[in-house]
Amino acid sequence: MTSLQNLKVTRLRPLGPDATDMALFVRSSDEDLQGWNRQRIVDALLRETTVDPGTAETIGMEVEDFVRQTKIKFVSAPLIRELVNAKLLEHGLEDIRRMHTRLGMPIYDVEQLILQQNKENANIPHGPEATNLTLAEHIKKEFAFLNVFDQDIGDAHMRGDLHLHDLGFIDRPYCSGQSLEYIKKYGLSLPNALSLAKPARHPEVLLAHMVKFAAALQSNFAGAIGWDAVNLFFAPYLVDLDDQRVKQLAQMLIFEFSQQAVARGGQAIFSDINLYWEVPKHFADVPAVGPGGQYVDNSDQAGRAEKPYLTYADFEKEAQRFLWALFEVYLEGDASGRPFFFPKPLVHITEKFFQTEGHREFLHLICQVAAEKGNTYFVFDRGGTAKVSECCRLSFKLEKSDLEDAKTPWRMRYTALQNVTINLPRLAYLAEGDNGRLMSLIKEKFELAVRAHLQKKAFIERLLEQGERGPLALLGMNRDGEAYLRLKRASYLVGMVGLNEMVQYHTGCELHETDEAIRFGLEVIAYMKTLADKFRAKHGMNFVLEQTPAESTAYRFAKLDVERYPDQAVKVVKGDLSRNEIYYTNSTLFNIGAEVNPIERVKLEGLFHPLIEAGAITHIWLGEKRPSAESLANFVEKTFRWTQNDQVAFSPEFTTCRSCGRTARGLRETCLYCQSTDVEGITRITGYFTKLSSWNKGKLGELRDRFRNEPYFPQGAASAQSAAA
Amino acid sequence: MTLFTKDGCIKCQRIKERFNLKELGIKVEKITPDDYKVLAHLAWHELVDLVEQGKLPILVLDDGSHLDHEVPIRRFLKQYAREVGQTEAA
Amino acid sequence: METSFLDWPGQVAAVIFLARCNFRCPFCHNHGLVLNPGDYPTVPWPEVRTRLTKFKGWVDGVVVSGGEPTLGPGLEDLILEIRSLGFKVKLDTNGSRPDVLKRLLKTGLLDHVAMDVKSTLNEACYARAAGRPGFLSRIMESLELLRCGGIPYTLRTTVVPGLHSEEDILELADQLTWASEWTLQNFHPENALDPDFRNIEPLSPDLFDELTLKAMRRFGRAA
Repeated sequence: MTSLQNLKVTRLRPLGPDATDMALFVRSSDEDLQGWNRQRIVDALLRETTVDPGTAETIGMEVEDFVRQTKIKFVSAPLIRELVNAKLLEHGLEDIRRMHTRLGMPIYDVEQLILQQNKENANIPHGPEATNLTLAEHIKKEFAFLNVFDQDIGDAHMRGDLHLHDLGFIDRPYCSGQSLEYIKKYGLSLPNALSLAKPARHPEVLLAHMVKFAAALQSNFAGAIGWDAVNLFFAPYLVDLDDQRVKQLAQMLIFEFSQQAVARGGQAIFSDINLYWEVPKHFADVPAVGPGGQYVDNSDQAGRAEKPYLTYADFEKEAQRFLWALFEVYLEGDASGRPFFFPKPLVHITEKFFQTEGHREFLHLICQVAAEKGNTYFVFDRGGTAKVSECCRLSFKLEKSDLEDAKTPWRMRYTALQNVTINLPRLAYLAEGDNGRLMSLIKEKFELAVRAHLQKKAFIERLLEQGERGPLALLGMNRDGEAYLRLKRASYLVGMVGLNEMVQYHTGCELHETDEAIRFGLEVIAYMKTLADKFRAKHGMNFVLEQTPAESTAYRFAKLDVERYPDQAVKVVKGDLSRNEIYYTNSTLFNIGAEVNPIERVKLEGLFHPLIEAGAITHIWLGEKRPSAESLANFVEKTFRWTQNDQVAFSPEFTTCRSCGRTARGLRETCLYCQSTDVEGITRITGYFTKLSSWNKGKLGELRDRFRNEPYFPQGAASAQSAAA
Repeated sequence: MTLFTKDGCIKCQRIKERFNLKELGIKVEKITPDDYKVLAHLAWHELVDLVEQGKLPILVLDDGSHLDHEVPIRRFLKQYAREVGQTEAA
Repeated sequence: METSFLDWPGQVAAVIFLARCNFRCPFCHNHGLVLNPGDYPTVPWPEVRTRLTKFKGWVDGVVVSGGEPTLGPGLEDLILEIRSLGFKVKLDTNGSRPDVLKRLLKTGLLDHVAMDVKSTLNEACYARAAGRPGFLSRIMESLELLRCGGIPYTLRTTVVPGLHSEEDILELADQLTWASEWTLQNFHPENALDPDFRNIEPLSPDLFDELTLKAMRRFGRAA
């Protein structure tokens, strides 16, 4: 038996109660070579778990015996921990073991990770920050399963009944909408910042503040950072600026947001800007915040008594000039002619839009951008509703109370805390054609989703409790009497994947095939909406349905279902099974490859939109040929007036050449300009543009199938196989 | 034809009292928070937003078009009842 | 296919394809419809009518294309039917049947015409481009009809390296300078009628843009 005295233990410095120790320790990965000491095992157990001292001592001794018998010369702290865990298991102390467990990744996986790209999120380029992110996400994910969500929910996620989005960002809310007014008024004084900035006096400075704030925000949110009425809120700073300067400002804004690869592993900030040609009704009479964060004096002597300050309606011209300039920049594209991936421009089309002078020309411009570059998102606000949009489809409908807030726009901050998505096709497999069973399965999963939300909320609340000195300092920042993150107003999203496949399996027809299929699909979604309403009333939390962007979820669910329900899944799953490029149709969308013309797509998909309160979108995939901007404008107006569709985007495809740097329309294998084969395809993945090389297999499968609105007889380019009779 | 109504909607009540809807072949659908089938039906006819804005009652005609507000509905039903030979309640 | 955003700029248009054609342009990409119409499902008129009526309002007009629509005897009736449903009508044609065109223009049945001009207006070039000889005089007649026809029209030319040199295109610009609108299209080799043409490299986008610019200047208006 080796004397334990000669045994060397390599260990990382002990984790102390102060997080600083932990942080420093991880970065420097110091090593202490120390002699064996059984007491350390006991101390750790007592500190980290609820085990009683007697058992801790016993375990300590048992591990010591084991180590002595094996005669190892060097033992690492992680190894000791595993030995303790094994002993705890032997003693039947599973709960204690969970508290004592170590989170991490096998060394093999770490190597793979550092050397190869992770394709789950198409936005992340491969690099050290990205690798850091993946490693951190991995640990946080495990933490989420063990300490935030209960076992049932964790299992439901792993099985693929549900998908809890962004588990690796468990300590963050999902996405957000903000108002420029906040930094206009308060300047940039972020917690933990090294310097403070007073409210901007000039638009370029305001832009700088906006960009920095966006980066700071992105570090605190898992998803998109949205901004309301950007062109309008910049307007008071643009008075008397010449066209050149306005254009430059527009260029700066777009370049800044399309280049910022700083947060979340080196990704570009996922930013959305909401834009209005007209002055939205709810802002028209609101006093405008101008340079220096002050209201702007009404220069008109006569009117000053009644109206001391200028309101946003007075800045319509400047707002429009800026908006026009922004779209000119979008139209030009980047140095290679490619579309700008970010910020995403969301143009709100309202009744007032059509009554505002100049709208025809503006509509033509944004349709030109849509036709040539595809950037424009057309958001339809009918019947006097207003929306602030975040991700490609998430939006916050402004209620009466929000419209009260409109008088002090810096209060208009929205957030969705989490998104939980339900695997619909699987429920159809389990229901085996029985309607009642199907609905009760939906209810079951919905309840699980609600529970997951409650648990996430509880966790975030814990983090927020510490306010500006806590882990979510920025979100606890309080400048106007309320924490920046208005938790009371937060939304909790319940999404769905594969309605089309569910309906297909249950009724035999896909959504686009018969009226009955659509009506059944509507019943399913209507049911989910009534559930959301019910739970909203019960918990006082804003549960809403959303169309999950489902970038990797649609692929994951499909894969899992093919494994677990092979006989059923192969009947409806989409894509190419042989290449494993399979997927379920996104949320409530119609089959991507179906020959549904755009009119029917916007109209019929639109039937679902009013039920999906957090927002929805219809995509029209354009192939290679450039449509006429006028025709698109014609179509957009009709969509506004004659459908219930929430939002539309037109997505062209491009091929960019790495040899000569030029970009051409259509997806090709060789460059049109220089014939090189070193090319890369670019198109919209879910709600945003990215390069095809970063897409996961499911999305690649979907790309092959997309029905593009092209002339009946395909005109070449490898992508067009799907069209034609 | 279908008439969408809601509890506590006086205008809906008046229409129901005035006409024998069953005889006219008009189905009455009551909108309640739990009834998802009615909600789906509304969505099919693109009426969800209208209902949210409180514009009940709504009468959906055979060709898919609809009338809302009490007066137009009453006027229509009066005409229709006459054609079908029904007499109105006082 | 029911909706096109590019066949009739400014409109949301439905497109109807009619089989058969009297030309054999080597660069034709609709040749399936020209050579093997039997391969394609024929949609009976009642069905077409139902589909069109469904989208009344959404679809402003119908483009009658093909193949060559002016060959069929039933063209006028077809157009009358479409108009009776309330749609505007645009005709795509190669201009080889001026008699038919004349009649349609006279009876005011068309809202817009798009005519393909296959090459410079001389016998040899045209015969090569159209794959059939002897049509030039009829082409000239059709052009004249459009010139004084009183309705909007567009002339279109597909630029095919091998058939058209830069000089050819510029010459054509001179020949068409009287016209109200002329557009150039770039050639897509992948599905060309003549297998030899499938190997021809189309002009790269820059060169095409450059040519278009020059041609339009010659034609009389900036591109």
